[in-house]
Amino acid sequence: MTLQNATDDISLLGRFLRGRKWYGAEWYITVAGGLILVAILSMTFLTILAPSVLPFDPTDNQVGAPFTVPGAGLQVALVLADFAGTIDIPTGLADLEKTPGVVRGSNGNVYLSNNNIKRTRFNDLTELLAGLRSGEIVVAVVDAEQAQTILADHGSEFRQLGEPFGDRYWLGTDQRGRDMLSRTLAGGKTVLLVAVLAALISGISGIVTGLLSGFWGGVLDRVLSLVMDSVYSFPGLILAIALAAMLGPGEINIAVAIAVVYIPTYFRVVRGQVLSIKEEVYVEAARSLGARPWSVLFQYVFPNVVPSLVVVFSLNVADAILTEAGLSFIGLGLQEVPDWGWDLSNGQNYVAAGQWWMIALPGLMITLVTLGFSLLGEGLSEIYNPRLVEG
Amino acid sequence: MAEPIVKIENLIVEYPSHYGMVQAVDVPWLEIRKGEVLGLVGESGCGKSTLGMALLRMVRDPGHIASGHIWFDERDLVSLTEREMRDVRGRRISMIFQDPMTSLDPLQRIENHLIEAIRVHEPQTARAAAYGRIVELTDRLGIQSRRLPDYPHQFSGGMRQRIMIGLALALNAELIIADEPTTSLDVVVEAQFLDLLKELQRSLKLTILLITHNIGIVSELSDRVAVMYAGRLVELAETLPFFEEPLHPYTQDLLASVPNIELDDDQLRIMDGVPPNLIDPPTGCRFHPRCRHAQSRCSRQNPPLQEVAPGHWVACWRDE
Repeated sequence: MTLQNATDDISLLGRFLRGRKWYGAEWYITVAGGLILVAILSMTFLTILAPSVLPFDPTDNQVGAPFTVPGAGLQVALVLADFAGTIDIPTGLADLEKTPGVVRGSNGNVYLSNNNIKRTRFNDLTELLAGLRSGEIVVAVVDAEQAQTILADHGSEFRQLGEPFGDRYWLGTDQRGRDMLSRTLAGGKTVLLVAVLAALISGISGIVTGLLSGFWGGVLDRVLSLVMDSVYSFPGLILAIALAAMLGPGEINIAVAIAVVYIPTYFRVVRGQVLSIKEEVYVEAARSLGARPWSVLFQYVFPNVVPSLVVVFSLNVADAILTEAGLSFIGLGLQEVPDWGWDLSNGQNYVAAGQWWMIALPGLMITLVTLGFSLLGEGLSEIYNPRLVEG
Repeated sequence: MAEPIVKIENLIVEYPSHYGMVQAVDVPWLEIRKGEVLGLVGESGCGKSTLGMALLRMVRDPGHIASGHIWFDERDLVSLTEREMRDVRGRRISMIFQDPMTSLDPLQRIENHLIEAIRVHEPQTARAAAYGRIVELTDRLGIQSRRLPDYPHQFSGGMRQRIMIGLALALNAELIIADEPTTSLDVVVEAQFLDLLKELQRSLKLTILLITHNIGIVSELSDRVAVMYAGRLVELAETLPFFEEPLHPYTQDLLASVPNIELDDDQLRIMDGVPPNLIDPPTGCRFHPRCRHAQSRCSRQNPPLQEVAPGHWVACWRDE
């Protein structure tokens, strides 16, 4: 078989499945990209279909104390070493004669407050321990990490009552006490919704205009090409910023602002493909059988354009995610919904103070999703590129 | 003599280019008769394929039919609207293309190609009914019906060219234009293909315009032969007289340059010169710069196509 036969004549899925034999490395790139995406997408769909898998409400301020370190948040009840009574931890805390003591702004305070348990608040740990010693309070609720230090230093004086209780914040909390894990999981929904919507909007408009422009040519083609080239000449993010500022907030508006930037990408690819496919002999043969222009376009030309579109779409979603994150980062994105770009821009203010976790995960997720779509797109483009089949 | 199915009158096809207008076809007169195989021969670039495309009004852009008439079924194809012309294509006149490897859509099954060929013109025909017809048709072409759901790449070149005939025959077109149908086939497959075409032509009484540069194929299949040189028709004759007594100097040289098993090596002629540039063609007879019998008149006046013997037409001053 000649080079051309080997690639041009096999269906999309067939080519993909045979890819392993033909392409080696590129095939694995595609699979790797695909796996990353499957993982992230299934996670995102899970959070959309069953929001209860989120540990906390991602938009709820004061889920925990501000700036909780990742993995922290569990509470321990401390009593004096000679404390004789019994308390069910944590349910018994509500029924005490003397309310349990907590430090203001600590996770213990937030926990008791969230569970409607009255408590006595102290300004810091020293005052809390002093209160315990003086008998002002009977039980002190402190973070599990602090309890370990206290018990190590004053082991003879205090003891731990019952098991640790309360909520653990696996990825910490932000400055308003929102759970970062929940925000990161829920943020995928926003980002992917906007990115895929943007890719669909730009895809549909770009494909339709590209098909018409390439197929009919003439004045229509010149006008459309001119318009698309003008749009293309703008730096993408700048144009998106201008449009986003003009349209205002909202998922659809952001998606449209991003979509406009990428319409020329589809337009160019489709138009170029149509120009070359319409010169193919099989298109001429179809015309010689009396096929109408519309059926030539949709039956013979369009299906042959699709393979290149798969690639463009995948790369386009990756770009759209970055643009969406970029818009959110500079504050033109969505408000009041969990969003990686917003978290990233919010978290950067606290990095210098040592709160690294607030940007780490949103940043990682943006990188991973973009990487996934890019790998998939690059891999597919290698697989569908007939020039690379040799050997 | 069978009645003519197509009559070409003063047909001129032009291609605009940066250097000027190229007159690719300038045929004053040509008839294709019902039930015959008319061989149209000439070297590359002489306008024979353009003439074939002109019959379907499918000359490639920016080429176009500048003037003339193509009479078919009492209508002038040149003056039909595009919509009316679409109705002619496939149903009344169909075409077999040169390269079967590229003339089938790689993404469509064979059965779909054939069913579409029928349903383009008969949208009321159900797919099942159309399927029944294509099974019958492909059976005749030697393609098993179990292969119909296959894609073009699963077929050999010879098989694909048979499918192309199937597409051309799907609606019993009255005229089939075969544009170098065997050029891309190897010799054995070519022989099989020609046998099939001959058999089909006889049993279905097809009218075929066989465009080729292969004199051998013409001698085997054609009833009549037309020779084109630099866009013009120079000779038209029945096949036997044509080969026995070619009259135009170009035809004589052409036939003499074809290897023949009865000839010795030193008798094989090589024609002098090259075909003219059609942007600035020679005045008068376009062959005169290469002609061994050129007279002064040849460079001034274009010789008309004249009947010098019954059914034998030549455009040469020498035969006047």
